[in-house]
Amino acid sequence: MITDKLNYSPLVKAESNNALDQFKGTLYPSKKEEEWRYSPLKKLRKIPFINDSSFVVKNLSLLNLPKLEGNILVLENGRFNPNLSFIDNIQGLNISFISNSKENYPYSTNLKKEDYFSLLNSSYLSEGIVIRVDGNAKIEETVNVLNIVSSNNCLVNTKIDVFLNENSSLHLKQYFIGNTTSKNGFINHLNNISIKENASLVLDKFQDLNLNFNISNDCINQGRSSKVISNTFSTSGLFTRNNVTNNVNGEHCHSELNGVFSPSENEYIDNHTLINHFVANCKSFENFKGIVKGNGVGVFNGKVIVHENAQKIEAFQNNKNILLDKESIIYSKPELEIYADDVKCSHGSTTGQFDDEAIFYLRARGISLKKSKELMILGFINEVIKKCNNIDYQDFIIERLLNN
Amino acid sequence: MKEVLIDIKDLECKIGDQKILKGLNLKVNKGEIHAIMGPNGSGKSTLSSLLAGNDNYEITNGSIFFEGEDITDLSPEERSWKGVFLAFQYPIEIPGVSNINFLRTALNEKNKFFGKDPIPAKDFLKMVSEKSALVGLDNKLKNRSVNEGFSGGEKKRNEIFQMAMLNPKLSILDETDSGLDIDALKIVAGGVNKLKSNENATIVITHYQRLLDYIVPDFVHVLHDGKIVKTGDKNLALELEKKGYDWLKINSLN
Ligand SMILES: Nc1ncnc2c1ncn2[C@@H]1O[C@H](COP(=O)(O)OP(=O)(O)OP(=O)(O)O)[C@@H](O)[C@H]1O
Ligand SMILES: [Mg+2]
Repeated sequence: MITDKLNYSPLVKAESNNALDQFKGTLYPSKKEEEWRYSPLKKLRKIPFINDSSFVVKNLSLLNLPKLEGNILVLENGRFNPNLSFIDNIQGLNISFISNSKENYPYSTNLKKEDYFSLLNSSYLSEGIVIRVDGNAKIEETVNVLNIVSSNNCLVNTKIDVFLNENSSLHLKQYFIGNTTSKNGFINHLNNISIKENASLVLDKFQDLNLNFNISNDCINQGRSSKVISNTFSTSGLFTRNNVTNNVNGEHCHSELNGVFSPSENEYIDNHTLINHFVANCKSFENFKGIVKGNGVGVFNGKVIVHENAQKIEAFQNNKNILLDKESIIYSKPELEIYADDVKCSHGSTTGQFDDEAIFYLRARGISLKKSKELMILGFINEVIKKCNNIDYQDFIIERLLNN
Repeated sequence: MKEVLIDIKDLECKIGDQKILKGLNLKVNKGEIHAIMGPNGSGKSTLSSLLAGNDNYEITNGSIFFEGEDITDLSPEERSWKGVFLAFQYPIEIPGVSNINFLRTALNEKNKFFGKDPIPAKDFLKMVSEKSALVGLDNKLKNRSVNEGFSGGEKKRNEIFQMAMLNPKLSILDETDSGLDIDALKIVAGGVNKLKSNENATIVITHYQRLLDYIVPDFVHVLHDGKIVKTGDKNLALELEKKGYDWLKINSLN
């Protein structure tokens, strides 16, 4: 069992723990469940996870990240590491830590038995960050949150609550890093995001877990005329899974979920997304690109639900994949459920290999085989990379995707 | 004595079970222009593709010498670095890769091979504007993805633009004239002529004598069923225009 060697989090109310006890025996989902069919849960099940909140990383430069600008909040093995962090006081931006708050943190009462990893997160919470942006505050500086696991077998349960008040905006960059020297660490993270009327959020996520695990649950709630752009780049990980639920609760919203994922040898990277169009007059765009190497496994499962009376919705979903090797595997399942009649929706999925003729064309111009493949990959992911407006970050992502 | 640029000896190849080239011989000297004509399916594009290093075909006999060196087993990129260029009959679209980025990569890979530094951005851009003017390539096409959504004629111009940028020793133009309007044909031919020197050579594959009014060949060869069955001067093209290919088949049977 996942929790054998763990204590409940001191951050969590005692009665919540009691409530959670009943789930103790079934914390892992079963492979028979549709949602978890392709996940190599065996890999997770084998690991005797422990708590270990030591600090290992001496210097951020050791992680080969791009230059970080703005606020830098570092969680290492589930604990805030002040030595690596930099917090600037910015008007309209309030950042606090759950471990500092006087009250015990209430666990989300609306979790269901099937929300395995959210339950785990709630009952064993290591640390949480609360980010609030005041109404009308447009925060220019990026808020970077680095979530690093650097001890073997270490289970990290972290959480970020983001509240964007009316007319505010924020750029949040998350890095999920499995230190190259650690293995079988597990970051189980939860983002709880609330975007109020007219507010807008850009959420860039970078995941590079190496020999570690990462499950990341995003729950995004959008109010009227709000905007969210989420770009997720997953370059490596034994087991990396993103579950994104985007509830569009107000009219005239813009929602964008983009991503590139590149599992290579022995890796598994999974993007499960759900966009709920509850109300009319909204637009959503989803674009995920998979590049699978060796015997890597990639999963895309994107669902868009246009609920009854949500008229005039425009929802576009696209997933394209390249398999680089014979053993490479992709499971792609785009789903569209429409219960309104006046909507414009499309979805599509393609999976293929390199186009030999294109490779020959590039080589005939003097571009080596290796470089030709790189160019083809660049071309393939270009439209998603372009979504990030910072050139350094783009170059960084490209470099990592190509060299994983 | 003229210097031999490329020497193709007894070349035979097949794809799957199908034999395509059946013993082809061709020698091209520096400074020469050779035209190859021949019916559909006779093997012209196969030959071009083989010269550029496409390994889809299995070479069952023969060899290719380039400046005295046996290049039969070299990769396409190595041949390109040594100076072989193929203007494709059907240029390939490469979504997401800008024409400019593609060419800069190509030039720098070539520089790397010769142990030279990457070309400075300023020099590169100067070269781009010079060479695109040479073939009348529309400015906006340079930043678009390689050939993506280009019209047929634009693709062909783009091929000649790339040729101008790479400055090859041997250019093989596979039906570069098809799809070009009359003005474009003159511009492209003009570009080819301007790039011509005593150090390089051109193989022009075409179905139409018209192109040869602008790019005047020293030799005209007829490729038929995987072999060169007749060689003449530019007048042979005029004769073919009048008579078609049937009379040659009869000749070659005799
Ligand atoms: N990949 C392939 N698979 C099977 N057959 C092929 C392949 N490539 C070429 N061929 C065959 O080889 C023969 C020669 O083709 P090639 O394209 O070289 O002709 P061509 O002389 O260039 O014709 P065209 O004037 O129509 O361009 C044709 O019969 C063609 O069908
Ligand atoms: Mg042809």
